[in-house]
Amino acid sequence: MTATTQQPAPATAAPPTAPVAGLRARKAARRRRLAACGVLMTPFFALLVTVFLIPVGTAVYLSFFSDDQPGLGFGPERTVFVGLRSYAAVLTDPTFLGGLGTVTLYCLIYLPLMVGGALVLALLLDSGVVRLRAWAQLGLFLPHAVPGIIAALIWLYLYTPGISPIIDLFAKADITIDFLGVHTVVPSIVNIALWSNLGYNMVVFYAALQAVPREVIEASVVDGAGPVRTALQVKTPLVRASIVMVAIFTLIWALQLFTEPMLLNLSSPMISSRFSPSMYIYDAAFTRNNYSLAAAASVVLLLCTIALSYGVTRWTSRADAQEAR
Amino acid sequence: MPGRPSRRSMLAATAAVPLTGAVSACSGSSEARVSSTGKTVITFWSALRGSQEVVDAFNKTHDRIQVDFQQIPSGGQGGYAKLSNAARAGNSPDVATIEYPQVPGFAIDGVARDITDLVSDTLRAKLLPQALGLTTFQGKTFSVPLDVEPMVMHYRTDLFDRYGLQVPRTWDEFAELARTVRRKVSDRRLVLFPTDGMTQFAAYAWQAGAQWFDTSEGAWNVSLADAPSRRVAAYWQGLIDQDDIFMNAVESRQADAQIGNGLVLTRLSGAWDAGAQMNARPGQKGQWRIAPLPQWDTARPAVGTHGGSTFAVTKDCRHPEAAMEFIEWQVSHPDALRARLSSGTSSQYPAVAALIAVGRAAFDRSYYGGQDIYELFEQEAAKIRDGWVWGPRMTATQKVMQDAFARAGAGRGSLVESLRTAQEGTMPDLRALGLSTTQHTT
Repeated sequence: MTATTQQPAPATAAPPTAPVAGLRARKAARRRRLAACGVLMTPFFALLVTVFLIPVGTAVYLSFFSDDQPGLGFGPERTVFVGLRSYAAVLTDPTFLGGLGTVTLYCLIYLPLMVGGALVLALLLDSGVVRLRAWAQLGLFLPHAVPGIIAALIWLYLYTPGISPIIDLFAKADITIDFLGVHTVVPSIVNIALWSNLGYNMVVFYAALQAVPREVIEASVVDGAGPVRTALQVKTPLVRASIVMVAIFTLIWALQLFTEPMLLNLSSPMISSRFSPSMYIYDAAFTRNNYSLAAAASVVLLLCTIALSYGVTRWTSRADAQEAR
Repeated sequence: MPGRPSRRSMLAATAAVPLTGAVSACSGSSEARVSSTGKTVITFWSALRGSQEVVDAFNKTHDRIQVDFQQIPSGGQGGYAKLSNAARAGNSPDVATIEYPQVPGFAIDGVARDITDLVSDTLRAKLLPQALGLTTFQGKTFSVPLDVEPMVMHYRTDLFDRYGLQVPRTWDEFAELARTVRRKVSDRRLVLFPTDGMTQFAAYAWQAGAQWFDTSEGAWNVSLADAPSRRVAAYWQGLIDQDDIFMNAVESRQADAQIGNGLVLTRLSGAWDAGAQMNARPGQKGQWRIAPLPQWDTARPAVGTHGGSTFAVTKDCRHPEAAMEFIEWQVSHPDALRARLSSGTSSQYPAVAALIAVGRAAFDRSYYGGQDIYELFEQEAAKIRDGWVWGPRMTATQKVMQDAFARAGAGRGSLVESLRTAQEGTMPDLRALGLSTTQHTT
């Protein structure tokens, strides 16, 4: 843009040259923009390649190759292409499938509670029902600042019979409660995750609600909508995009369930060393020293995550399109 | 999204491990193994008690070879992961300590090298054949046994006297006794079934004639739930169901309290546990004696082993002969055993028969009221049933089985189901390793 104005072109000089010069200048400007883009995006791509593409590539490679010895395995080792053998082993391993089942159950409980809970809290704060809004927000958000491992430790303490004040309190009321029993262990883990992340997602929703035009809400009030109806039928559809985003991130995060069960594993027999797919991968690599198996399980988990995220995105965009029609 | 572990970072963490391995391989520590004075330096890793004393004794008496010892955590506490990772990075120690169940796994992974030609005939002749059999596969020896630990019954002689109990000789008598103890004293039990005790259960199954792994057909035949194992599982399940015994983890404060407070009257474990007990509970001096493990059939007595270690020369070792010389001294020289026992924490039963007399003389018998426990160990070691084979991924099999035991202890599933679960959790691993496998499901 600046280049064209600096061109000292006489007003009467051949008019056709001006567009050419302009084109050339635009090309130069585009090249500079591209160069700037390149410089600014290099760190991103460098990181993408080193911490994502190369590791994923390595995992894929590892899942197709193995150090094999024929027969009993005491011969000399050689690296061979084994095709889908590791995948077949993973997918026929009842402990891995059990882990997938556990995570599915976990997602089914966690996802609706998290998204619904965060949304309700955000709507409550936004509606002005809650006094001391800033304090409420801070209080809800604070657990998110606690690192996951510390959170798990705190809850491990609260869940362990004999040392937990909560269990003692229940016991005084003649209620025996086992937070780490067969049916309670998954809800207990859900509880830890909710505690950690509810406030965070609430802030996301709250920020989205702030962007809802006030006129729209005023119009709905004028039309006679009560506060509940305004919240559910006016505000909620307007923050749909945030809801989808939070749902996808929560789903991806939930599929990698690792820290909480890994720690609770110390004190509950109901959590095995292969409780979730991520724990299975860890166990395969570091206890069983079976890198092909760990790599194959990682790739399976990655594919599941991609498929689910894609599915959710497709589903919501189709719903959007239908609504637009 | 601050504070969230993303899918990317998780995958990067899993997949980047081999990369870090490769990086540290470049900075390997295998250069200066021959020191400036012309001495050969051997690095040695062990979690065994008394190893420092043994190494000191070796270094004092040897000029040409010096051993650089490093105490590492026990296998389950990360020692085996440390060894695997070091081997992957190319800087494993010259000599590593491996317990019997893990020998096949480290041999298959190529961490323990084939030392068939390094083991001298004199050493071979000295070792108990059942022990050497556990470290030899397809005619190749992968490690040298240090000790072999027949399972025995440690019992509280004072409490047996107080309640008028007889030491049981058969498992039937043992079950009868368990019932008696519960009836007589409701808060005490005869024994603990350890939910973290795959190795204990294996010893019971071994004694009963089980064959969890069999390599005789040229493939790994896995049958964790064979008839003898099911029999043993049903026996213990019966005791558990009638509340005749405790069932919880043995590596726990709960079990410490049970033993420390005399709530449990017997401990079924390897011979080594006599020394560990002395070390852990000096206050119970004089209260314990040791008896043979109960038998299924007294006419054909048999026992399995519980615990015991071996020494392997690793693939990264630069001086295999020197490493072997150290190993041979450590397992067969009287000074080595004396040094180990001098730590006061060991009652290992040596795999080299000639050392038994040394152990008997060096062991302080006062804790066991003067009982000659080495004589008992010698009788029991002769009953070790030959032909037992550990599997290629015993740490994994152990974890799955113990997870299932723990669930059974919490009222979900049974011991027999735990064995089947362990088998199902083991097979995919072996297949993924490319081993020939057959399965015997029952």
